[in-house]
Amino acid sequence: MALTLESVSIRLDGRLLIAPLSLGVEAGETVTLMGPSGSGKSTLLSFIAGDLEHPFAASGRVRLGGLPLDGLPPETRRIGRLFQDDLLFPHLSVAGNLLFGMPRGPHAQRMAKVEAALAEAELEGFGDRPPHTLSGGQRARVALMRALLAEPRAMLLDEPFNKLDAELRQSMRSFVFQHIAERRIPCLMVTHDLADVPPNGRLLLLKDGVVTHA
Amino acid sequence: MKYSGAAPLALLWALPLLLALAMLLPAALDGEAWRMALAHPQLRPALALSLSSGIVSTLLALALCVLLLAGLYRSRAWHRLQALAAAGLAVPHLAFAIGFGFLVMPSGLIARLLVGGDVPPQWASVQDPWGAALTLALALKELPFLLTAGVAVLSRGDEALRLRQECRAAASLGHAPGSTFLRVVLPPLLAALRWPLVIVFVYGATVVDMALVLGPAQPPTLAVVIWHALNHAEAAVNAAGLAMTLLLTAALALVLAVAALLGGRTRRAMHRLLTAGPSPLQAPRGLAAVTGLAALAVLGLVLLVIVLLSLAPRWPYPVLLPPAFDLTAWMRVAPAPLWLSLLLSAAAATAAVAMAVLWFETQAPRRDRWVIGLALVALALPQLATAGGQYRLFLPWGLTGTLAGLFLAHLTPVAAYVLIVLAGPYRAFDGRYVAAARALAATRLSAWRRVKLPLLKAPLLSAAAIGFAVSIAQFVPAQLITAGRFSTLPMEAVTLASGGNRPLTAAFALALSLPPMVAFLAATLLGRPRWR
Repeated sequence: MALTLESVSIRLDGRLLIAPLSLGVEAGETVTLMGPSGSGKSTLLSFIAGDLEHPFAASGRVRLGGLPLDGLPPETRRIGRLFQDDLLFPHLSVAGNLLFGMPRGPHAQRMAKVEAALAEAELEGFGDRPPHTLSGGQRARVALMRALLAEPRAMLLDEPFNKLDAELRQSMRSFVFQHIAERRIPCLMVTHDLADVPPNGRLLLLKDGVVTHA
Repeated sequence: MKYSGAAPLALLWALPLLLALAMLLPAALDGEAWRMALAHPQLRPALALSLSSGIVSTLLALALCVLLLAGLYRSRAWHRLQALAAAGLAVPHLAFAIGFGFLVMPSGLIARLLVGGDVPPQWASVQDPWGAALTLALALKELPFLLTAGVAVLSRGDEALRLRQECRAAASLGHAPGSTFLRVVLPPLLAALRWPLVIVFVYGATVVDMALVLGPAQPPTLAVVIWHALNHAEAAVNAAGLAMTLLLTAALALVLAVAALLGGRTRRAMHRLLTAGPSPLQAPRGLAAVTGLAALAVLGLVLLVIVLLSLAPRWPYPVLLPPAFDLTAWMRVAPAPLWLSLLLSAAAATAAVAMAVLWFETQAPRRDRWVIGLALVALALPQLATAGGQYRLFLPWGLTGTLAGLFLAHLTPVAAYVLIVLAGPYRAFDGRYVAAARALAATRLSAWRRVKLPLLKAPLLSAAAIGFAVSIAQFVPAQLITAGRFSTLPMEAVTLASGGNRPLTAAFALALSLPPMVAFLAATLLGRPRWR
C-alpha cells in the first residue's frame, strides 16, 4: 500500500501556495517535508486527509493503494493523523480515547486491544485515568496509540514533536517511527525541525511553493 | 478603593437579594400559612401543570437547540444561527406570548391560512386545559436563549478552537460528522448548557405573565394560583401564597435533583455509547435547516401579527389581511407606562453595567465566584420567591410604591444577567494592553478610557442591551413592588390581554418589543470595531 500525490497544488485566494507536486510514499517509509511556517505544508496534509477548509483550494489527485481518494470525506479515508496537540478527548478516559477510533466489535476483544496498546506505550493501569492527569509525553504516546488502533492505511504527522519538552522529543521520535514502521504503512510528516527527520528517511524541502529533494 | 469598588454591587444588589431571601424564612415557619396553602383545592392539579409545562418546554427547547447546532455546526449556515438566536432573544416573553396567542387562536392567522371557512374552527388552541399552548410558546421562546449559550460555547474562544481541532481528529479516526457531534461536541456542550437549562426550566415552571395570557384557567398553573394569592387583599392569603411559592421551589429542586441523579446513573451507559467505535452517522443538515426556517417563520409571523393587529381597528374572519389600517391603537398607548418602562430600564441597565465594571476593576478574579454564584441563585430561583421576599423586605422600609423600590426590584435580575455575560469577556481581557499604554506615559484613568474601554466596547454594549431587555420585560416584581402606584408596560399588557381590545393589546405588545430590539440593534452597530 503506497500513498501517491499526482500534481497536487494548493491555492489561497488565487495565489499559488504549493506548485504542482508529485510524490510517492512507499509502505513502511516515512517522508519528511520541511518548510517555514505559513508555507502551506499543514494545508497539504489537510488536503490529503480530506478536510481542507474554505479559503484554501486544491487541485490534483491523491491515491492510497492505487485507489483515488477524490471527494471522499475524511472519515472514510482511513488516514491517521497526529497534530501538534495530542487532542485527547477530555471527557473520555485514556481507555475511552483508545476505544474511540477502534473498529466496532465484541467489547472484551476491544478491551484486550486497549490493554495491549497501554502495555506497548508503557502505560499499564492508566486506562481509567482522565487524560489531563498524564504527563505530556504520556499523552503523546496515547495519541499515537489511538491513531494506530483505528487501523489506518497511512499516517500524516503535522509537527507532532513541536510542543514536547526537548528531552522528551528524542525518545518520542523513535517511539513513533518504530510503531509506524511495524505497521508497514506509508507516512508523510511535515516539520520545520531538521532533527525530526528519521534516520535514512527521505527529506523534501518546500521553499516559495516549490518542493525540491534535499 | 478596594472596598468602595465592591460597595455599590453589595449594597444595591446583593444585600436586597440576600435579605429578601431571608424574609422567606419566617414564611417557611408559618404553620397557619402552610395549612391554608396545602388545603388549597387547586394545589395538586396546578402543581402538576407547572411541572409538566416546565419540564416539557425545557426538553423540547433543548431538543430543538441540539438539532440546530448538530445540523449546522461547521457548516456555512452557522452564522445565520446567530442571527436567528439574536432576533429571538430580543422579543420579550410577554410580547411573544401575546403574538403567539393571536397566531394560534381559533380566529388567528394560522386558522385563516390553513382552515378558512366562514366561522373560526372549534379549537382549544389558547388557554387549553393541558397547557399545551403555554408549553409550546415557552419552548419556542427559550430556544434562542439556549442557542445563544450554545453558539457561544461552540464558536468563541480557545475552547471552541480546540473543539474544532478535536473534530478533525475524530474524522481521522473514522467518525462521520453526526457521530463526531454526538461523541465529541455534545458532552462538553451539555455541560456548558447546565445552568442555562436550570434557568429555562425554573422560568418555564414559574412564569406568571405568559401563563396569564396563554395558560389554562381552571385550574391554572401553580404560579398563577400563587400570583392571585400574593395579590390578594388579605394578609393571611398572601402568607399562604409565599408558602406555596416555597412548595413550588422545593418541587423544582426535587425535579432537578432527580435529573442530576439520572445523569449520574446513566454515566456508564453513556461511556459505552461514546466509545462504541466509529460510525457513519451523518449530521442532520436537512432537518436542521427545515427546523431553523420553521422557528424563524414562527418568530416572523408572531411579529407580523402584532404589527397588523395593532394597526387594524377590525379584522373579520376569515380574511387574511385587515380591510383597513389606522393608528388609533398606537395613539392610545398611554405615555406614562411607556416612559416609566423606558427610563427605569435604561437606568437599571446603566447602573448594572457600571456596578459590574467597578467590581471587575477593583476585585480579584477569584472573588468573582461569589457574585456569579449569587447571580445564578437569583436567576435559578423563581421570581415569585425573590420578588415575594423583596416585597416583605421593602414594606416596613416604605419602599413599596416608590420609584426607588421599583428600581431596586428591577436591578435584581438585570445585574445578575449583566454580571454573567460580562464576566467572561472582562476577565479574558489581555491586561498587557493597559500595561503597554501605561508604559507610554498614560495615566491609569486615561489608559482605561482610551485603551480598555474601546476594546471592551462590544461586550459592554451588548451587556447593557441585555440588561435593558431583561428590565423592560419584568412583570412580577413590577406589579408586586409598585403596589398600584405606578404602571409599567408589561403590567398594562397583561391587563389588556385578558380584555377584549385586541388592537390596543397588540399595540402594547409592540411597545414592549420595539425598545429591546432597538437596544440590541444599536449595541450591534455601535459595538462594531472601528478598525475593521
